[in-house]
Amino acid sequence: MKIFRSNIFLWCLGIALAIQVYIAFETPIGGSFGDAAMLSMNSVQDVTPVKATLQSYDPSSTIAHFKDLYGDSGTVHMTDGSYKTEYKEGDVLVIAVAYDKGTKAFEEKELVRVNPMMTFPMIQGLGELGRNMLFHVPMSMVAFIAFLMGTIYSILYLVKKNPDYDRRARASSAAGTVFTILATVTGSIWARFSWGTFWNWDPRETSIFILLLIYAAYFMLRSLLEESEDKKARIAAVYNIIAFVSVPFLMFVVPRITQSLHPGGGGIEAPIINLSGKTHTDRTLLDMHWISVLLFLFVFLWIKDMYTRILRLQDKQAEEA
Amino acid sequence: MASPRQVQGSAWQGVLRKDLAIEFRTRYGVSAIIMFLLITVSVILYSTPGEQLQPSILSALLWIALFFGAMTGLSRSFVTEEERGTALILRLYASGESVFIGKLVYNLGLMLSLAISAVLFFQFFFTRDFHIRDWSAFSIQLVLGAIGIASVSTILSALISRASQKGALLPILALPVLMPLVIATTDATRIALEVPNAVSASQGDLLILISFDVAMVLVSYVLFDVIWRD
Repeated sequence: MKIFRSNIFLWCLGIALAIQVYIAFETPIGGSFGDAAMLSMNSVQDVTPVKATLQSYDPSSTIAHFKDLYGDSGTVHMTDGSYKTEYKEGDVLVIAVAYDKGTKAFEEKELVRVNPMMTFPMIQGLGELGRNMLFHVPMSMVAFIAFLMGTIYSILYLVKKNPDYDRRARASSAAGTVFTILATVTGSIWARFSWGTFWNWDPRETSIFILLLIYAAYFMLRSLLEESEDKKARIAAVYNIIAFVSVPFLMFVVPRITQSLHPGGGGIEAPIINLSGKTHTDRTLLDMHWISVLLFLFVFLWIKDMYTRILRLQDKQAEEA
Repeated sequence: MASPRQVQGSAWQGVLRKDLAIEFRTRYGVSAIIMFLLITVSVILYSTPGEQLQPSILSALLWIALFFGAMTGLSRSFVTEEERGTALILRLYASGESVFIGKLVYNLGLMLSLAISAVLFFQFFFTRDFHIRDWSAFSIQLVLGAIGIASVSTILSALISRASQKGALLPILALPVLMPLVIATTDATRIALEVPNAVSASQGDLLILISFDVAMVLVSYVLFDVIWRD
């Protein structure tokens, strides 16, 4: 498509991606007082960021009363003393607090942000790692869309016999493989800090590994064949369609029925895509996640378009030679 | 496909009969399968003398044997036609659909005999450990697994028979595609070895197998004509 060749489009996409990355890392994570108390009681972490509205503040005793996003009130002993200079009653604060089991009160450790534009929720067991939801999950989704588009182009090639569809199928599958690798890498880093090791042979990790093998076989088939171009294209298109039959099983079915460390495994509902059609994810995080999906989708379309053009030029060169 | 009308009715049976006749003449497929199973089982027996083999390991070994046995036996179906130069005649005499159905049924028969002999071998050689608790669940998943492997290797065998290098390509192409099926059957076999009422316990696996088989048979039926008609 022409739009992917314009500089304005590329600049916009680049800037939007940079802003998205900035938002993903800069948006403060704020939980509730309940989260902070529970995480402290279970000895997961002592200091937890809490997002709450300042109700009243007593400068003499530096005791502040807050109401968090669930409407629970919490008493916080403020230590930094920047009341009135940085915040006042009615402001929304993200503060890192420590829980005192004896008095059931909180002590301020750090003032993270005053009146933030948006906050991400405190996801149990993830904390700061929850930011990766804006990279890992959208990349996997775009990878599936890319493989789906590759298969549709393969079907179109078999129906219409236009070699351009074959090039597009190749480019889509290649871009899909790139996004699968990106999702694997981001997921692997996530696993390192959340589960302890880079690779656990979790069902979803195994199935994504097999998915990469499928497309490795697809590209290997292409390079191993010593036939005429259209015969090669036909064989590869048929294999691409057959291979795609197992892609939904690998990406959606097998990880869901087996016990898994990933959410959605072993009959537990997944947070974003599940059978009941309801998400249990915080609105802000979910919206930002869909924006990520959209941006990565444009990146995919750009890579696909570029690679299609490279293949077109290569074929033209081969024809002239 | 330009083919004599009167043959159409039972054309796929004709293809099946032809393949069976060739098999009975050479016994290539069956002997390859038996040899393969004997070697596999003896390697396992040699390396695990007197050891207790868990159901999870036995089910994985069974399906590794079945998968690679299928790759040695079933890969031949279209390659031999091309090698003997009989593919053109087959194209003249029968329509694409009947060739596909005939070959699929033949491969399914070969795959089922492979599966049954593998189970008998495992029963005979691993008497103590290979103890099937639920025969109905075990046979259901065995038949469903055989259908899936037979349909994938039929279409992929037709695919590689059109290519100039035919040998090693099939297992590389078939294994990743068959992986969801192999995962599900391995799990279902393990459950049938472990618990007495395995049909309900392995319900998810059986559903995966049924949907995979239906999707694969339909897709390969539609795509076969594209490969066959050149």
